[in-house]
Amino acid sequence: MSIFSFFRSAPKTSAVQAKERLQIVMAHERVGRSGPDYLPMLQQELLAVIAKYVDIDANKVEVKLDRGGDCSTLEVNIELPGRDQIKAPSAVKDAVPSKPANGVAKDEDDDKAVPIKSAASVLTNGGVSKRR
Amino acid sequence: MGKIIVMTSGKGGVGKTTSSAAFATGLALRGFKTVVIDFDVGLRNLDLVMGCERRVVFDFINVINGEAKLNQALIKDKRVDNLYILPTSQTRDKDALTKEGVERILNELCKEFDYIVCDSPAGIERGALMSLYFADHAIIVTNPEVSSVRDSDRILGVLSAKSRRAEQGMEPVTQQLLLTRYDPERVEKGEMLKVDDVLEILAIPLLGVIPESQAVLRASNIGMPVILDENSNAGQAYLDAVGRFLGEDVEHRFTTVQKKGLFSRLLRRSA
Ligand SMILES: Nc1ncnc2c1ncn2[C@@H]1O[C@H](COP(=O)(O)OP(=O)(O)OP(=O)(O)O)[C@@H](O)[C@H]1O
Ligand SMILES: [Mg+2]
Repeated sequence: MSIFSFFRSAPKTSAVQAKERLQIVMAHERVGRSGPDYLPMLQQELLAVIAKYVDIDANKVEVKLDRGGDCSTLEVNIELPGRDQIKAPSAVKDAVPSKPANGVAKDEDDDKAVPIKSAASVLTNGGVSKRR
Repeated sequence: MGKIIVMTSGKGGVGKTTSSAAFATGLALRGFKTVVIDFDVGLRNLDLVMGCERRVVFDFINVINGEAKLNQALIKDKRVDNLYILPTSQTRDKDALTKEGVERILNELCKEFDYIVCDSPAGIERGALMSLYFADHAIIVTNPEVSSVRDSDRILGVLSAKSRRAEQGMEPVTQQLLLTRYDPERVEKGEMLKVDDVLEILAIPLLGVIPESQAVLRASNIGMPVILDENSNAGQAYLDAVGRFLGEDVEHRFTTVQKKGLFSRLLRRSA
């Protein structure tokens, strides 16, 4: 036995890990049970907004969801096309802000496709809520 | 008016049939006129566990279809007074369980019996839904294991949304946890979820903890509900659970490792 193992906290037993995993997944499943699942809608609308500015290839959109205890992240990775394909702001008719949203227009170094990443925390009620 | 109890779990093989047989027998031993119904259409097994497989003539589905009278299909237990079994069909499938048919039979049984115990099949399909739809009380049979706990939570959701009591805005179905196949030694080693962990996650009252026990297999081998094996841990744990169901204050046993004395260790070695 190494002397360092005295200082390290004991590793989690498999039962403790089982409990933690259950608490997280079930907190989310209970939320989903009472109320519509808005994630697919949110995703579609987000993409629609971005599509106003740039022609995005649906196959190059990557959506990842990571459910955590206190907060979850929805990560949308979109590969932006080259500069020439970006729509001029004047072409955007709707009253959306004329400046692209945070992080969208950072492809300054020329017309190479630049993946952007926008991570949004969309689910917040982690932990297991008591029944009734 | 009889009360309807459903033994349900979502997940298969966690001990619903074992518990239905034990519980129904326990209620009958306390003097309540009790019937236990097999809702697992196509996979009849309650008859074997109750030891009446050779006496089945008509079944639940025959009665639903009007091919037999209810009292022709009810089998009277040979060991315990007040105890009856309503077996299910081996050949039909779960579509044979119509809501109207099930309701009609349950209404008839409610007039004659104090308790009607419904042994649910696994899953959340028709058979399981029909077995819980008319319930007054639900006993959620759960093993201390991730998939079973998650499935139990799903079933709790179904009970609070799709039962008759929920649909008609009546007083909700009471829900109690029966934690089965509990192994205190593995819990102590950190290899199995603790009672308290499961309770914290499912957040329903604890009816009982049934230990993992070799007596269960022995009892099913001979077609005897394990609750009649009064020397076994599992049998005693079921007796306690029935007492609690009836409102008695019974302390939980068999949830911690029992220190074996030298004598019993020697006995075990020679056994
Ligand atoms: N406390 C226990 N200790 C040991 N074995 C048990 C215990 N409870 C149940 N078993 C065993 O587990 C197996 C499944 O039990 P049972 O048939 O009661 O489960 P079930 O939930 O009715 O299954 P299904 O979903 O298929 O209807 C059986 O072999 C039974 O002997
Ligand atoms: Mg069964």
